[in-house]
Amino acid sequence: MFLTTATGAEALEDAVFRAMFEARKRVFVDLLKWDVPVRAGRYEVDQFDTPDATYLILTDGIGSHLGSARLLPTQRPHILDTLFPELCEGPVPSGPGVQEITRFCLDPRQNSRQRRSTRDTLVHALAAHALDVGINRFTGVAEFGWFQQILAFGWDCRPLGLPRQVEGSLLGALTIAITPETPTLLARAGLVPSATPSGVADRRHAA
Amino acid sequence: MRAGAQCKLRRLAGIGGLGSAPAVEAVEMSSLAAANEFVELTQCATTNDQLRDALEAICQSMGFDYFALTHHVDPRASQAQAIRLHNYPEPWVAWFDEHRLGVSDPMHRASRVTDAGFRWARVPSMIKLTTADREVLAMARREGVGDGFTVPWHIPGEASGSCSFAVRPGSEVPEDYVLVAQLVGTYAFAAARRVNHIRLVEADGPPLTGRQRDCVLWAARGKTNWETAKILGLSEETVTQHHKQARERLDIPNRVMLVLRALYEGYFCFDDVFHA
Repeated sequence: MFLTTATGAEALEDAVFRAMFEARKRVFVDLLKWDVPVRAGRYEVDQFDTPDATYLILTDGIGSHLGSARLLPTQRPHILDTLFPELCEGPVPSGPGVQEITRFCLDPRQNSRQRRSTRDTLVHALAAHALDVGINRFTGVAEFGWFQQILAFGWDCRPLGLPRQVEGSLLGALTIAITPETPTLLARAGLVPSATPSGVADRRHAA
Repeated sequence: MRAGAQCKLRRLAGIGGLGSAPAVEAVEMSSLAAANEFVELTQCATTNDQLRDALEAICQSMGFDYFALTHHVDPRASQAQAIRLHNYPEPWVAWFDEHRLGVSDPMHRASRVTDAGFRWARVPSMIKLTTADREVLAMARREGVGDGFTVPWHIPGEASGSCSFAVRPGSEVPEDYVLVAQLVGTYAFAAARRVNHIRLVEADGPPLTGRQRDCVLWAARGKTNWETAKILGLSEETVTQHHKQARERLDIPNRVMLVLRALYEGYFCFDDVFHA
């Protein structure tokens, strides 16, 4: 598995990114039936896919998309403060050390075992990235089934408010504390990351 | 850490000394604060007894009489580890087990069709209730368990479970607290899973090939191997071989179990079977 970490400013046109936007369409539009914009009939791209967003993308050896996530800075408009502020009982958490995890996407072309491995690797990559760049807190909005899975990852995850029914789904806002102990907590919960060899920077700049 | 947790537990349940005092402080807290106190308790918990105490306390302060956190398995038959924490009346639990309801209990079945918590009153609109199911509900009422709210717990690759909160017959489910119960039930199950070291239950063999998956999918759609062979342009013998190898890979003895296992592991979904 290869990990690409880049901002929207760096690489929105990259092949790896295009594959991610296609996979996002398959997952969020085709599978989960979210009402989100689709471009050119094949890319799921919304108003938050800007130069400010950071993407973590896992691909296989030939560049096929396996999984990805998008991080939004919370000092700019993001999903929790723009679309679902009512999910937070207090103020929406924001600041330089707080980023929102959005569009956590596991490519549906994998079977459940491969998806789980991709998921574990991506969650560990998110924690490592956070520690790397000084993010001490993630926030997110999740449908309840997904909320439970996020919780079961074993990291320190707290609710930001009571869940609410939004258009037929039960949604909850959550915050995840990231500390040097987080990777250990993930491992203790059974999340085993695959190796993500370096060469990432080369891949990023190749396009 | 544990002393602090004990102290919070007392506060949460209003059991600081006057056993009959209602949970005044818990009521004055915001609902989220109440849930968060419970979350903190569960994070400190290292044993099932601590979890049971915490559930007992929050259950009271939310206005419910009973809680039941359980995997949906038959505890007498299951080889896998299963969690069960509850304060239901003993006769009801004995009857429940005697009738092996761990798997077939209507609330357990209903919790498999949703990710969100549900009032028991809604169950008839979620699953088809049989005469036996109605007997189960009547028996529960006779044994002192009336209405309730169930929070499903689903993690891919693990046994499903739920955390239910119930009231005695004649009492109302505290409507103001069902969303708190949603959070509490979820965190309780996550903590129980951690305390009991629950892990994946799955075969370790290699995954199915694309062809094997296709053959199993057509079996799920009710086709014989001969029909599948015609559809896929293979010989019947080849389809039979694919089935055999798929069973070996997933360590499954027969055709019906193979179809179910493939569904469970996500090789295809119900939509692929019924709406293709």
